[in-house]
Amino acid sequence: MKNVLIVAGREFRQILGMRSFWLTLLILPIAFGIGPLAQRFLDKHEPDRVMIIDRTGGGEARAIEQRFTIEHNRAVLGDLSRYVQRHHLEGADRSALWAQHDRWYSDADVARFVANGGVDAAQAKLKAAAPKGTPEFEADKPDYEVVAVPPSLAAVPDARLDEALKPVLKPSGKDAKPVNYVLLVPADFGASPLVRLWANGRPRSSLVATVQDVLTRDLRTRFLASQGVSPSAAQSASVIAPALSISTPPPGGGAKESMLVRSILPLAAAYLLMMSLMLSGSWMLQGTVEERSNKLLETVLACVSPEELMYGKLLGTVGVGIFMIAVWIGCGVFAAYATSGAIADMIRPALDPLSSPGTILAMLYFFVVGYVTISVFFLAIGSMSDSMRDAQGYLMPVIMAIILPITILMQAVLAGNTGGVMMEVLTWVPVWTPFAVLARLGLGIPTWEVIGTGLVLAAFTAIELVLLARLFRASLLAQGQRPNLAEVVARIRGSAAGA
Amino acid sequence: MTVLTLDRVSKRFDQVLAVDDLSFDVSEGEVFGFLGGNGAGKTTSLRMVLDIIRPTEGTIEVLGRAPGRENSRDIGFLPEERGLYRQMTALDTIVYFGRLKGMTPADARKEGTALLDRFGLAANTKSTVDKLSKGMAQKVQLATAIVNRPRLLILDEPFSGLDPVNQGLLEDEIRRLSAAGSTVVFSTHVMQHAERLCDRLLLLARGRKKFEGTLDEAQAQLPARLSVVAKESPMLLPRVESANHLGPAENGWHRWDVRLEQDAVPGDVLEDCVRRGFALRRFEQQQASLHDVFVHIVGAPETQQ
Repeated sequence: MKNVLIVAGREFRQILGMRSFWLTLLILPIAFGIGPLAQRFLDKHEPDRVMIIDRTGGGEARAIEQRFTIEHNRAVLGDLSRYVQRHHLEGADRSALWAQHDRWYSDADVARFVANGGVDAAQAKLKAAAPKGTPEFEADKPDYEVVAVPPSLAAVPDARLDEALKPVLKPSGKDAKPVNYVLLVPADFGASPLVRLWANGRPRSSLVATVQDVLTRDLRTRFLASQGVSPSAAQSASVIAPALSISTPPPGGGAKESMLVRSILPLAAAYLLMMSLMLSGSWMLQGTVEERSNKLLETVLACVSPEELMYGKLLGTVGVGIFMIAVWIGCGVFAAYATSGAIADMIRPALDPLSSPGTILAMLYFFVVGYVTISVFFLAIGSMSDSMRDAQGYLMPVIMAIILPITILMQAVLAGNTGGVMMEVLTWVPVWTPFAVLARLGLGIPTWEVIGTGLVLAAFTAIELVLLARLFRASLLAQGQRPNLAEVVARIRGSAAGA
Repeated sequence: MTVLTLDRVSKRFDQVLAVDDLSFDVSEGEVFGFLGGNGAGKTTSLRMVLDIIRPTEGTIEVLGRAPGRENSRDIGFLPEERGLYRQMTALDTIVYFGRLKGMTPADARKEGTALLDRFGLAANTKSTVDKLSKGMAQKVQLATAIVNRPRLLILDEPFSGLDPVNQGLLEDEIRRLSAAGSTVVFSTHVMQHAERLCDRLLLLARGRKKFEGTLDEAQAQLPARLSVVAKESPMLLPRVESANHLGPAENGWHRWDVRLEQDAVPGDVLEDCVRRGFALRRFEQQQASLHDVFVHIVGAPETQQ
């Protein structure tokens, strides 16, 4: 056992001494760190610019602009309500609209919200009531900004607008801001329902819906008036809407959302297992190939048995894998503490599975045994290869056979598909068992299946280790051509020449 | 005390009998040469002693025990094909192998430092192996073999690939270890090293033992040869098998290469010369080289000088 630990320690130190190890180790946290930053840069913060050429006298343009403001304030009010619900801040003002979560905010609600001081007044109340450490509410910017029509453009006849709007939608100057949408409401709007919209890209459905809603109301009002309905009754009819009461789960509490969040930790474990296995397995393989190609093995085998060497390498590799995962988890915990709001809220329910000792045990078991099960393949390849080129020949099919089904499995779990023949097959075939069971732990997998697959995996790994020990012993000092399948089988059966 | 015993050991690889019914003993403190051409079975025999491979038949006893890693704390081994971990430092490499041989990290470090100092590598203890010259790496390799002050040092073709300076260093180390009481078994197909170092030797050909004994006993396997300067042909003398005339010397004398009959003793021939009044100006016994003995016993193609 002492020699196993000495070999494992050397393997561990050798891999940790590699620059590629540290690069790879840090890539994941860096990628996760850069991701949100990049997202922030990539996020479109500026509102879309909308120009409304209203030939009817300006009433339609004002109505549309007003609607944009109402929709924005409705969205802000909705977000504020979710924020209050998430942080349990209803006590700041129970009568406030944002403390009432079970409704769809009507135009009247929005008007009241604005009249009461809007987001600034709400924030002042919430800040006073929020416990220390509660992140401040940040209102999103509006989606649309209405820009004035330049007089030169207002004078252009409708028929010549196509040409005239080209430099407006796609200005040539480097710093010139393009107008994203131009809406023409012709002078005969009402008699004719036709309006025109120019866009410098695919128009957003929210814009089209808002414009359509405003103009439809106006057309209906005009229609009702033409039918003899008084103008005030016609106006009232156009804004009639149901008061919609809505029941939603609290943030992170929705069925699918909740299931997904609960699946994150086991899924992440499966993913980390796959990542660290592929990486540390490759490094172990490199080390074994180096021992063969550098003619080191005979010296080592004079001091340790092939089995001790094999177990030492496996242990060292498992150590490297666990170290990598510990670093990654450490970075995750740091990120969780360093951040707040949505990330922290997500992490809390994601840690739910850890409240069950059975789940923790299952995760540890499938992680460690899975590591050994798959690492053995890398070790076998290393023991048969004189160079990395030789090793590649074996490596590619093995990696593909492991990774491809797992990738599909993870997609299926993310999509919430918990059943199906493929899922069962992947769960019960030992090389995929650790990934499948880990991935399914969050979705809920029957206990008997966890125990059954755990036993099958243990039996498979034990047999694998016995067979590998034979292959390892027979291959270590074998020379010459890369062994073919028959030779590999002969070595495993213990009947090969060098055995 | 016997340190190493092989008793009727055979090793077969498929259809190839690499070692055939090999038996010999090595006593404590001996320098034992294991001689044979390429493919004679030297490396296979040594690997069986180290338990890297197992014999097909026969028994082996090393330091009073069956072969196994439990012997490694008392054994040093330098294989024919040598290599080191390229990214490990010279000292760490020696410490690693010292620890695998049961040494404590502190002892292995202390002994490794002393060895590197003795080998002129004190300034390179922290250098990784890939930064060392080939000669330096060879010294580090030797240090890994002897860091545990082995009771039995096994060297497989130790001089192959070494530059003359390192060959001298290795010879000195073998003598030093032998003087300190270690037993040294080394295989070689270069006879001069065996002649200089071995107390006893074993000649191996195609897996079979052809000879085992001291250098003198080996040389006695060949008929004696004489370098003679005489006026008449030495063929006139008894126990002379052949006399090859090499050419005239001064004043009517001639130089002869004389080969005696098997088991004839040169001193007896000299006595005959005196008794018969056979005129001599020179009578010098030519010692047979180990190479000649080897060629005589196993045939020319088996050896290489």
